[in-house]
Amino acid sequence: MSSRRGQRGAAKVVRQQLARERRRRRTIWVSVTAVAVVLIAGLIGWGVWSSQKSDEFTAPKNTAEGGTGVVVGSGPVTVDIYEDFLCPVCKQFQDTSGATVDQLISEGRIRAVYHPVAYLNRFSTTEYSTRSSAASGCAADEGKFAEYAKALYQRQPPEGSAGLTDDELIDIGAGVGLNRDDFGSCVRDNTFKPWTEHVTDTASRNNVTGTPTVIIDGQQVTDRSPDGIRAAVEAAGK
Amino acid sequence: MTVTAPSTRVVHWPAVRPWLGTAARLGLAAVWLLAGASKVDDLAASGRAVNAYQVLPYDVATVVGAALPFVELALGVLLLLGLATRLTAGISAALLVVFITGIASAWARGLAIDCGCFGSGGQLAEGQAPSYLPEILRDLGFLVMAGFLLIWPRTPVSVDGWLTGEPVVEDEDE
Repeated sequence: MSSRRGQRGAAKVVRQQLARERRRRRTIWVSVTAVAVVLIAGLIGWGVWSSQKSDEFTAPKNTAEGGTGVVVGSGPVTVDIYEDFLCPVCKQFQDTSGATVDQLISEGRIRAVYHPVAYLNRFSTTEYSTRSSAASGCAADEGKFAEYAKALYQRQPPEGSAGLTDDELIDIGAGVGLNRDDFGSCVRDNTFKPWTEHVTDTASRNNVTGTPTVIIDGQQVTDRSPDGIRAAVEAAGK
Repeated sequence: MTVTAPSTRVVHWPAVRPWLGTAARLGLAAVWLLAGASKVDDLAASGRAVNAYQVLPYDVATVVGAALPFVELALGVLLLLGLATRLTAGISAALLVVFITGIASAWARGLAIDCGCFGSGGQLAEGQAPSYLPEILRDLGFLVMAGFLLIWPRTPVSVDGWLTGEPVVEDEDE
């Protein structure tokens, strides 16, 4: 009797050990699976992103060295303006200080470099930031960036909307005197979309984290009013 | 009354706790799924949001920014299923600690950025004040949920429970 009870007891211990072993192995496999899922997800993200970015681009004419911005004017002081055509504060800057910038350009005081970055793609349903920037590249190629940019701001769509259609972007170009056919095919073919990516990428690499950002001779300007811009140009010109 | 009140709480805790765990698990799953989904459609922007913290070199920040939304989605799915809950809760807690540290360091360095936790991100527009404290408190709340699951990972309606084939019992702490 006692030996049978002992056997039963031993069998129970063995069963428990086997069960424990099964549980242990199951935990290991479940953990390995979970870690693999997380790692693979991360790798997928990396892969998707790598396939999205294009390394080669053609810069439009009239752009600065390296093609990171459109140059207007040839004054001694360089004013870098980072803008997104969807950004309301950028329109505000254009409305309040755009005339001052234009005047400084025509006085030969400054060389403006416009960087039309696509930071706000998630605030339109059609990547309006990228499309409008690429279209402005088409305008820059024909030497009409400044006129086109102003016209874009006049018709700035609200954040969260679909933005302007390609047809509307082309109409605006024709409105500032661009050849409808050439400009139209440049916009439709996404000719300068890789350039927009390059402009955007370079801007973030240089720690430009928001729009509008105005940098005068390497110094970021916090007061973007007409007086602030003039004062900063004066200071940089000395 | 004063004697029975604490004792009823003791009686109820084992019954309530597993379901609290399920709530924490599903809540945390929702957090990760929302956070991942809000970033996944613009990976470049996600990279810029990471870069705005000015902690990592730009090229590393863009890779982290691209991988992060997918990792968040994966954690969300794992928690939703209740697969490897303790491990997933551990990874979640570690990530949340990294996020909280990042936000605190941005605050300490006087940066004016959006945390980019649920989309957007990057530098704030003029006149917009950063909301670091609410962001940190919110993440601490998520951390509590992850901590609960780290301590009591077995919850009803989970793949873990189905694999083990046992009801949620008291001594699941192996």
